[in-house]
Amino acid sequence: MIDNKKYKAVVIGGSAGSFSVVSKILSKIDPGFSIPVIICLHRLKHVRSGLVEGLNIKSNIKVVEPNDKDHISGNRAYLAPSNYHLFIEYDNTFHLSTEEPMNHSRPAIDHTFSSAAQTYRDKVLGIILTGANKDGASGLKDIHDKNGTTIIQDPDSCDIDTMTKAALKLFRPDHVLTPEKIADYLNQLAV
Amino acid sequence: MTYKVDNISEIKTYLKELKKYSQYDFCEYSDSSIYRRINKVLVDHKLSLDELMDKTRTDSLFVENIVQEITVNTTEFFRDPGIWHELYSRHFVPLKKKNVVNVWHAGCSSGQEVYSNNVILSEMGLLDKSRIVATDLNNKMLKDAKKGEYNHRYNMKIIDNFNAVINKKKLADKVRFDKYFEFQEDKDIIKVRDFLKENVDFKRHDLVKGELNSYQKFDVIFCRNVLIYFNASLQSRILKRFHDQLTNGGMLILGNHEGLTGFFKTRFIKNGPVFIKNNAFHFEY
Repeated sequence: MIDNKKYKAVVIGGSAGSFSVVSKILSKIDPGFSIPVIICLHRLKHVRSGLVEGLNIKSNIKVVEPNDKDHISGNRAYLAPSNYHLFIEYDNTFHLSTEEPMNHSRPAIDHTFSSAAQTYRDKVLGIILTGANKDGASGLKDIHDKNGTTIIQDPDSCDIDTMTKAALKLFRPDHVLTPEKIADYLNQLAV
Repeated sequence: MTYKVDNISEIKTYLKELKKYSQYDFCEYSDSSIYRRINKVLVDHKLSLDELMDKTRTDSLFVENIVQEITVNTTEFFRDPGIWHELYSRHFVPLKKKNVVNVWHAGCSSGQEVYSNNVILSEMGLLDKSRIVATDLNNKMLKDAKKGEYNHRYNMKIIDNFNAVINKKKLADKVRFDKYFEFQEDKDIIKVRDFLKENVDFKRHDLVKGELNSYQKFDVIFCRNVLIYFNASLQSRILKRFHDQLTNGGMLILGNHEGLTGFFKTRFIKNGPVFIKNNAFHFEY
């Protein structure tokens, strides 16, 4: 499993059950991992804070919630802030938006993924994790259509496999992997 | 058939036409944002970009409608209650010393934050001496804001947020929600009480175009989650104007995940959620 592509970003989306999966991936990632990791997770509306602190406990790279117009840098994980959509701009900065929820979600994974596909074309790696709705599937297809690389968490390893199965219905991903294998995959990427 | 345009430069050509044929200038909106909004219009109306171009040149009513679709008008009562509580319990306290309190809501949309703030001002005993200007690009939004009537189902968090801001840590003497709002549950309507509307001047103003004509400077400017739709250079021009229109020590309140870009970082001092106008010019060189 050797992937020599020079990626500009890794984008990860997840919903129900995904917090522990993201936490596991970030705890296994090399401390020197230099590609920006951009994470969009659905949050419970009444639990607005604490997610970034929770991820930072185990993560080997620093996790931050970006502000609008922040420059995207390597060796960082960015978490979509609560109640905003997170987009990637053409000039490699973040753009936040309060526009209407998509798939009943704000942040919506589809928005983050589609803008990553639009900006980075084939130089993005998209990963979709466990979740109870279909948000993220069409955004991941956008990445696939622009010849980016796509990974789907093995549905057997998902708490809820609605999200991964929705993606599998739309296209054939490059890889279907367990959380451990996803971390291994990231660590072998060329820098 | 797909109506989407894949190329941002074609969208920019359209924005120039829109500017030529209407009063609306979206040329300096942030790229990915305007790209997405225009594409949404194309898909929703089943139009090609050429067709949209033609309609824009000939049908001014159509233009008014699509402008409403291009702009983002989401707003909530007491969005981010923690911040509103901080304004109420801490940052606005010095305003009590003023004879008049001037407030500008720049990009007020349907008005929820205007009334959220007026609740706070009223609880602090400041409302009677406050003059409030609320502006938006969009006439329809201004009309809704003036009316002050909202569907509860689109403003579900209003009561919880109200309590989190006004009644936080209070065991007794809680302020009743119906002091400020009339809740008609059967009709799903929440009405802002008239006294909260009295000293608000709602008027049309386009932040892109220039200064707000105003005789006085403002003690507080709210501009929450508006500048995020603009590109960095427009943002920084508007921040300069806000700086000019604030009193010394005046407060600029942006959205939770907005910062100051470029030059103006040094012209404001950040204190919690508030950016305070800083007149120390010697920093500049």
